[in-house]
Amino acid sequence: MAIENKNLHNEDYEYDTLTNERLIKDHDYDGIRELDNDLPPWWKWLFYLTIIFAVVYLIRLFVVHSDDLIQDREFANEMSGYEQEATAKGGSTATAFEVKLLTDDASLAAGKETFVKICAACHLVDGGGLVGPNMTDNYWIHGNTVEDLYNTSTNGVIEKGMLPYKDQLSDQKRLEVVSYILVKLQGTTPANPKAPQGIAY
Amino acid sequence: MELQKFTYDNKLTKLFMLVTILWGVVGMLVGLTVAFELIFPGMSGEISWLSFGRLRPLHTNAVIFAFVGNGFFAAIYYSMPRLLKTPMFSKALGLIHFWGWQLIIVAAAISYPLGLTQGKEYAELIWPIDVLVVLIWVVFGLNMILTLVKRRVKHIYVAIWFYMATWVTIAVLYIVNNIQVPTSFLHSYPIYSGIQDALVQWWYGHNAVAFFLTTPVLGMMYYFIPKAANRPVYSYKLSIIHFWALIFLYIWAGPHHLLYSALPDWAQALGVVFSVMLIAPSWGGMINGLLTLRGAWDKVREDPVLKMFVVGVTAYGMSTFEGPMLSLKSVNALSHFTDWTIAHVHIGTLGWNSMMNFGMIYWMAPRLFKTKLWSVKLANTHFWIATLGMLFFSIPLYFAGFTQALMWKEFTAEGYLAYPNFLETVTQILPMYSLRAFGGSLYFIGALLFVVNIWKTMTAGKFARYEDDEAPAKPAAKPGEGWHRKLEGRPLQLTVAALVVILIGGIVEIVPMYLVKSNVPTISAVKPYTPLELEGRDIYIREGCYLCHSQMIRPFRSEVVRYGDYTKAGETVYDFPFQFGSKRTGPDLAREGVKSLPNYKPDSWHYTHLVDPQQLNPESIMPPHPWLAESELDVTNTPSKIDVMTYLGVPYPEGYADQAVADLQAQAAIIAQGLRDAGIEVEDNSEIIALIAYLQRLGTDVYKDK
Repeated sequence: MAIENKNLHNEDYEYDTLTNERLIKDHDYDGIRELDNDLPPWWKWLFYLTIIFAVVYLIRLFVVHSDDLIQDREFANEMSGYEQEATAKGGSTATAFEVKLLTDDASLAAGKETFVKICAACHLVDGGGLVGPNMTDNYWIHGNTVEDLYNTSTNGVIEKGMLPYKDQLSDQKRLEVVSYILVKLQGTTPANPKAPQGIAY
Repeated sequence: MELQKFTYDNKLTKLFMLVTILWGVVGMLVGLTVAFELIFPGMSGEISWLSFGRLRPLHTNAVIFAFVGNGFFAAIYYSMPRLLKTPMFSKALGLIHFWGWQLIIVAAAISYPLGLTQGKEYAELIWPIDVLVVLIWVVFGLNMILTLVKRRVKHIYVAIWFYMATWVTIAVLYIVNNIQVPTSFLHSYPIYSGIQDALVQWWYGHNAVAFFLTTPVLGMMYYFIPKAANRPVYSYKLSIIHFWALIFLYIWAGPHHLLYSALPDWAQALGVVFSVMLIAPSWGGMINGLLTLRGAWDKVREDPVLKMFVVGVTAYGMSTFEGPMLSLKSVNALSHFTDWTIAHVHIGTLGWNSMMNFGMIYWMAPRLFKTKLWSVKLANTHFWIATLGMLFFSIPLYFAGFTQALMWKEFTAEGYLAYPNFLETVTQILPMYSLRAFGGSLYFIGALLFVVNIWKTMTAGKFARYEDDEAPAKPAAKPGEGWHRKLEGRPLQLTVAALVVILIGGIVEIVPMYLVKSNVPTISAVKPYTPLELEGRDIYIREGCYLCHSQMIRPFRSEVVRYGDYTKAGETVYDFPFQFGSKRTGPDLAREGVKSLPNYKPDSWHYTHLVDPQQLNPESIMPPHPWLAESELDVTNTPSKIDVMTYLGVPYPEGYADQAVADLQAQAAIIAQGLRDAGIEVEDNSEIIALIAYLQRLGTDVYKDK
């Protein structure tokens, strides 16, 4: 390499007393001296390795067109992997899900957990309603049976702002949460109940 | 050889040193404030100018441009005359530089809390201040160049190579990233949009790290470490190689901020490989710093200055290893948008930048004031508190980053997201935010000890403004010098060479993004924003929403299920500036308005959530923005905004500016009526209506057919 200083001779050096390494003679900047040490070999090799990495990486993209460096393909591969998995499992989950009010403590506790995490964003933690309607009174906009509530939570009522949860919460989770509403929240007294909406049942 | 006598003037060094300390404390205090705001989101209350989104740019800009910037200006005004054996060329230029820079900082400190921003990270300054920055930067450079011209030494030392590369590169980065068209005295739109703007911005943003937080500080390191340790620099050869390699490679690395975004694969790949190739050149600086201390390690044990430098340089080595690792796609898929990034940058800033500043000032203040450091013991205490503070800051955030990334990606056995509610992943890491605030507080206490120590040192001594020195006149070049040695004797050519070297990467990456159409495939369904949405978008930018919410869905199953189809380049073409964001303290908003997606919320939800988020989610850390409901939307500049947009190529119908306000009011009336029907009392002309209009537009264009 050109910076290998061919023009320096022995008389151009002095020696550092502590390390006994060569100091370059006329390199003195406000008292700061410079040693003539070579690049540490491990450092040089580290640099070469990263350059090799770069070359290989670019070849894999521009010449080999590896799937993992082409974003659309990488994504398509990820998705098709899960789809295959889902179809493989499909057979066992095909049995019809029975929508029937759950009353056991474990299901209701699980329903409460989901309600607080997900539903409370619009219906508030105590079910008093704010953006969404009050869940504690006996007024309902889309019906009051467990099937009605299950259906609303599954498909949503998008024009009124109620989201469908079929892709976010499993059948069981949705059933737990509507059971929680019907068994536990109904008839309680929230802090700031929203005015009744819909029909009294 | 006859010695010429001359005198250094320490006044500017002293001034820059004092403001470094002042702005350091201010910048850290603002940082601490925003750290606490994340734990106590109600902290800012009804005071708009104290809200997280407005203070966060103040924190980043203050520590970068005021604390680190003034710090290396102090270093340059101290070291450059001594290395060149001549006083700085002009005291007047120096004073203009000093006061001009402080004026810029004060203007930033006033404009950010007022919500005056360009909405690009670390480039938030509005255009009149940008103009001032460029002028002052030219004054600073002119003073350095003219000082180089009248120097008494033939060859310039490596520290000065770094100073000049800093100057020339920052000039290029700053100007190119800030080309914009004003719509009024206080507002403008950049000429770039969407993915192109993102590329330019991160070319700038990444290289602000490279050429504002790294190269000038390496220059500092090359002067103050050998001085403080009284040891020769380890290797001249290494200086040459790592200098040129560093500045050449750094420029290319910007796209690593946009991995898995809508940036084309080739540009992402360049970002990856150039980041990886940066490890060795960065470590070259670390090695030359640390190995210079050989033979002085006994001093390191006692001397707080050297201790600060050792931790600083080591932190530099750590973060320049971590940076390339974060640039690998597989790591980035986890780390990006999480607190991992925040932890990473604070190893760099609290470790490298601040420690180098502290060390330099502990060394310099006693020399400027002709006395000893008031208390070595207190400085050592500061050292330990700062080191612990840095660890308490970063380690919890690393943990928070991993935790949140894994929670975002986790699916249940049935194939549902394990944590469909984003808030759960925030609540989980809140204790880590508290620990971070504790670490930050420790670091801040350390900084206060530093202030006391320097203050006591200054009052104990007497400022020696003038310092005499002598040197022979500049010798002629010796015959037979190697090419690099020759270049060291021609500093202006060296500066131009540095300019050429840094231009290559930028040109290769940015130019094709404009000229090659396939890089931004057109999507015909994507239409310009309505005037109301455009005003809403400007409010989104004003409030700094982009600092916590991304608008860039990455092509992963976990993101597509949570947020909807991943973002395409063609969807971003009307986004002046782009709003991809870099951090998800809250969820992504790229498809917030799409009704068929899980994130959709009705207008009334947005209203309540913006005004009082905790009413909907008691655990939410979203700051309340009640003023949005109270302030009236200013439509005076709407026509000129439409005009500028049209000028920038947005296809509004001809003469649309005249009709814009009427359209805006009509759209606002519909949204406001909907809210009133839902029982919310709101005026048609309230700012919040515009913001809701914008949020409900997000991502909808390509979903219309579905």
